[in-house]
Amino acid sequence: MNWLTTRRHFALMIAPALIIYSVYMIYPILYSLYYSFTDFDGVSANGFAGLANYRQMAQDDAFWTSMRNTGIVLGIALFLLIPLGFLLAVLLGGRVKGSGALRALVFAPAIIAPILVGLIWIFLLDPKIGLVNAFLLAIGVPAHPQWIGGPTLSPYAIGLVYLWQQIGFVLTIFYAGLRMLPRDVMEASSLDGASRWQQLRHIQIPMLRETFGIVTALVVTGVFKVFELVYALTGGGPVHLSEVMVSYMYHITFTTQQYGYGMALAVVVFVVGALASAATFLGNRRKGEAR
Amino acid sequence: MSIDSEVKMSLPSPPAPGDTPPAPRRRRRGRIIVSATAYLITFVILFPLLWIALLSFRTNDTILNHPFSLTHLTTANYAQALQTLNLLVMYRNTLILAVVSVTIGLVISYLAAFALTRMVFRSGRRRTQNTLRFYFLTGLAVPVYVLLFPVYRLDITFGLFGTYFALILPYIAVTIPFNILLLTGFLRDFPEEIEQAAVMDGAGLWRMAWKVVFPLMRPVVATLAILNVIYVWNEFPFAVTLINDPGLTTVSLGVSQFQGVYSVDYGAMMASAVLVLLPQLAIYAAFQKQVIAGMTAGAVR
Repeated sequence: MNWLTTRRHFALMIAPALIIYSVYMIYPILYSLYYSFTDFDGVSANGFAGLANYRQMAQDDAFWTSMRNTGIVLGIALFLLIPLGFLLAVLLGGRVKGSGALRALVFAPAIIAPILVGLIWIFLLDPKIGLVNAFLLAIGVPAHPQWIGGPTLSPYAIGLVYLWQQIGFVLTIFYAGLRMLPRDVMEASSLDGASRWQQLRHIQIPMLRETFGIVTALVVTGVFKVFELVYALTGGGPVHLSEVMVSYMYHITFTTQQYGYGMALAVVVFVVGALASAATFLGNRRKGEAR
Repeated sequence: MSIDSEVKMSLPSPPAPGDTPPAPRRRRRGRIIVSATAYLITFVILFPLLWIALLSFRTNDTILNHPFSLTHLTTANYAQALQTLNLLVMYRNTLILAVVSVTIGLVISYLAAFALTRMVFRSGRRRTQNTLRFYFLTGLAVPVYVLLFPVYRLDITFGLFGTYFALILPYIAVTIPFNILLLTGFLRDFPEEIEQAAVMDGAGLWRMAWKVVFPLMRPVVATLAILNVIYVWNEFPFAVTLINDPGLTTVSLGVSQFQGVYSVDYGAMMASAVLVLLPQLAIYAAFQKQVIAGMTAGAVR
């Protein structure tokens, strides 16, 4: 097609998006990277600190705890959220009466602001006023686990709340994948006497390999965005034991105002998140080739 | 209405003759168990929402001392919540932010995506266009948290801190990469015949972009609009960083302050949560198909 345009028109059309995107997204990344090598505290302009912030990080227990907690949430997402989301997609996949409505209901938590999700779950998980412990007491269990606010269980609780919010989303993607599978394979296999379980194990799961890859990629990027749940449920406490990488970075930057160190943490969040996504991407490609 | 058609579409096809199951009764029982499980799990997933709705009608005394009591229900919590909260201000601010940033964001994303895909140069080289497209798409890998502090400094430098634009500009920037990904994907497949016909009719660039191509992009733009509005509506990290004026409080920011505002007045806190939740769920109920399609766009073709 020979519809010629001038460079000036091209520049005018692309300029607004290009400027806003460059100033508010690309420049900030370079800014973070630069200040991660300084001991900037917001007042004195610059003290170049070399790798000091990164060395401080290596010796900062709270940082490693936040890494571990992000890992726990990631583990729950990979090994509970994805399998359960898939099973739920199979369960709500059509045979049940009103399954369309059920799927829409299960999706509902995904549209609620994460900060509100955190607030809601306080009233289930709080050791004193929460429903879960009240229920345990009512059925005669003497223990009062500190689901949130205690030293150990908080990251798991955060992971489970994240699961609750995302499961309808994961279900929907699997459901779309299941519907694209050719019908005749399923019909032929059930004529051949394959049980529902065999169909699932040997036909549907292998054929949905690509969908599993997409879900994994989305979940991995999603885990590195968990922030509001921590903010609302525990505030990162006690003594930073329930902090995730992002919330710890936020605390260092905005609460303690160690901007240089905060930016170093931001850079690490960015790099670790990008590496995890890249690993998922490569894993997906490898699996695809192996077929 | 939309739910009905969904159910019909997903009903299993009637069994073919000769496909009669060996033990119909057993199969029927199995189906009942499957249905019961499906309803039960859905109920369990929704239970937290039902629970806070219930709490919002109870007095603080019964919440603390008789967690499962269903007597002494009251609407006093709602009166208290409406008195304490400035819901109207929260909704007004969030609505302004959503409308302005999503509109500007989509217009400039569309212009850029159009320039990146539909423009043809005399030199015939697409290299610049492809490089720029890639440059926009790298933004998909950026977690917003990395941007918080630099954007805070930018807003102060530009004198935007304390205005709506402190949030509008980053919201636009954050939505640009995905807007461009989806728009360029669809614009590339735009039928050339229509374009050629429009050129024959003497359409200029502007008319081509808005009168010829844009109308056919409406479904994609609508999907992106829904996705972007949900993003802005629920956005918290930028809001908590860039707003310190109570008059600019957004819905999410307001929710984050409930615990401080109400302290141990749990009933009123839950009533406020319900007041924020209900409109959102009502809109979701009305547009659930479009919302689900919007939020899974990109993952589901």
